[in-house]
Amino acid sequence: MGVAVKTGLIAISAALAISIPALATAIAQGRIGAAMAGAIAERPELVGTAIILVAIPETMVILGLVIAFIITGLKTTVK
Amino acid sequence: MIQRMAKVEILGLKDIAIDAIDVIHDQGTLHIEDLTERIGKMESKRVSRMEMDEKYAEHEVKLRMLRDKVGQMIRELNPPEDHLDKAEIQKAYSDLYSEDVELMTARIEKSLEEIERETREPVEKKNDLQVELSRLEKYSPIMAKVQPLTERVARMENMSSIALIIERKYKVILNYLNEEISKITDGECEIISADVDEESTAALVVFNRRYLKQVHDFLAVQDVNQVRLPSDLARKPIDEALEEVKIRINEIPKELERIDVSLQQATAKYTNKLLAIRNTIHDRMESMEAVPKFGQTDQVFIISGWLPEESVKPMEKALYDKFGNKIILTVTDIHEESDEEETPVVLKNNPFVRYFEIIYLISNYPRYGNVDPTIVFAIFFPIFFGLMVGDIGYGLIIAVAGFIVYKKMSDKPLASMAGFVMTVGGVWAMIFGAVYLEFFGDWIGRWSGIITTNAEGEDVVHYLIGSSKTIIRYPMDRLDGFTLFLGICIIIGVVHMTVGLIIGMINGRHEKNTKHILEKGGMVLVLWGLLLAISRFGFPHWPKAVTFIGALMIVAGIVIGIAGAGMGGAVESIVSIGNVFSYARLIAIGLASVIMAKAANDLAKEAGKGGVFGVIIGIIVFILLHGLNLVIGVFSPSIHALRLHLVESFGKFFEPAKYKYEPFKKTGGEQ
Repeated sequence: MGVAVKTGLIAISAALAISIPALATAIAQGRIGAAMAGAIAERPELVGTAIILVAIPETMVILGLVIAFIITGLKTTVK
Repeated sequence: MIQRMAKVEILGLKDIAIDAIDVIHDQGTLHIEDLTERIGKMESKRVSRMEMDEKYAEHEVKLRMLRDKVGQMIRELNPPEDHLDKAEIQKAYSDLYSEDVELMTARIEKSLEEIERETREPVEKKNDLQVELSRLEKYSPIMAKVQPLTERVARMENMSSIALIIERKYKVILNYLNEEISKITDGECEIISADVDEESTAALVVFNRRYLKQVHDFLAVQDVNQVRLPSDLARKPIDEALEEVKIRINEIPKELERIDVSLQQATAKYTNKLLAIRNTIHDRMESMEAVPKFGQTDQVFIISGWLPEESVKPMEKALYDKFGNKIILTVTDIHEESDEEETPVVLKNNPFVRYFEIIYLISNYPRYGNVDPTIVFAIFFPIFFGLMVGDIGYGLIIAVAGFIVYKKMSDKPLASMAGFVMTVGGVWAMIFGAVYLEFFGDWIGRWSGIITTNAEGEDVVHYLIGSSKTIIRYPMDRLDGFTLFLGICIIIGVVHMTVGLIIGMINGRHEKNTKHILEKGGMVLVLWGLLLAISRFGFPHWPKAVTFIGALMIVAGIVIGIAGAGMGGAVESIVSIGNVFSYARLIAIGLASVIMAKAANDLAKEAGKGGVFGVIIGIIVFILLHGLNLVIGVFSPSIHALRLHLVESFGKFFEPAKYKYEPFKKTGGEQ
């Protein structure tokens, strides 16, 4: 397999590693955000909790970013 | 740390109950326990809730009315907060407050009458003028639109007209009105309309005067707004009325200004007194409203509650000095778990840590008897924040902004706390910025030649100490040393979670809960075992036995976890491994910030190549993108550092308190 193909596959893998968790995070944050918006309307003192809850699914995309970085690091080892 | 509390019960003869409540209120240290539930559960009916005598209840009704009145007067005078004289308020408070409710009420009524004499008339006049102005301002454009139409109508004999105002989006209703009024008037009608503004349309219904009553009746049930002028203007021709409206619109603001001047004088004269009255009523009513929380028998009253241990003696002394042997204060120990759950919590930290109590805005205080983790937050939060932001320039801006907020808003506790936390976080961001050698991204690295770009367009870091292959190196470039930082973040995570778990073990020991201790201990073993098991990725020369020992520790930890909390313990241990990897955000968030800062610098640099215009664009791009990155750089690391505490660390041990310590205390005229 040529270097260009390998590099391309690495790039696609890295893109998938970040984009799939990003989508998952977006879906989760959307749902939590909507629920918390309703909750805050009833009890405004929940703002702090809401911010934390919305931040919870971000772990997925953050780990995705880490994996994507590790994958792009593979570029140097392609022979 | 959590302040040690004492549970007390105060028993006294019923005839001194009201005076005793007053002394306790004066002391301002007792957090009252509502005895209603306990009394309800008692089999013996000898103890009942304390009730106010009838006369006392009458005073309560009167004070409630006076409170509403004074509140209304304060709202009307709207005193500026920065001109309050606390000493003056306290003095007025002392003059008004009396243990004799009747006397106090009389003093308040007299003072309010005096203030009202001077302020009632201008306040009412001001309100009337404001209503008139807003009504005239509404009429003016409508009349201006309708005026030319009415002039045309005036030339028609036997015709009458009614002006309407309709929301523009419902303009289509005019067709319906036209059809219906045509039926009523046998076709002798017409509707002329003109838009007043973006929201409303004025319409003039012109019809034969014979049908005036029928048309009026029809419109009355159609829910359309008829333009009804004030009675003094309604009889005048519309052009005259319009002229008069314009004159009034000009005159009223001047009149309002004159009234405002006289009201400002009254405000300056009476604000302190009004606030003192408000506080006096508040304190007296708080004292009255507390009564049903107490208990009584035929002979004695019972007051129960908590107060800081150091306040027991002064309370005892104050009661004994006033009532002698007619009252007894008994201290009961707080040691049972159920006692601790009910005990209100107040924190007593050193001045530095106290600012970090801001975390309890989004969480309750820790439960009484547990370890207060505020100090853990005070140490780790700014470090995590700094680790993520990690830029000398950004750190400097954050620290300076935080310090300004801290100093300027010292009278607003929340803003002052946030400012202080930001300042410390900013300082740590500068420290880590120096470690990464980042100043508004890679700007300083490129300027000093430490970071260069090779022929392939790749960035090359020329380390001052060590190389990209050594652990000890300087600068510690985040992009180049990503894997190294990932390892460091995992170690930080293990340490941070271990601190949380150790606190959990201490709490378990305090509660004499061995299972709890075993569960947390097992998790500590799993975490450190994990660290050893993966350590050879960073230190390949370490013997393989290290990995084996790490694996053994993980297994042992899971077994201990199971011994402590059953299968839940095993699940928790495995979840904690996942929690450790959550600390990867410490580098990931920072990395996103570095890349954005680098992009800002590259774009600004490219734009700068386009002559003078390019330089201006470059500066704008630099400021905008770095500004955006800074805003994200403050918000995101704060949220994630908070989350690491509340979820990953505190989540392992934190039990929230049910109640915050809120002493039964007089405002003393201070609020």
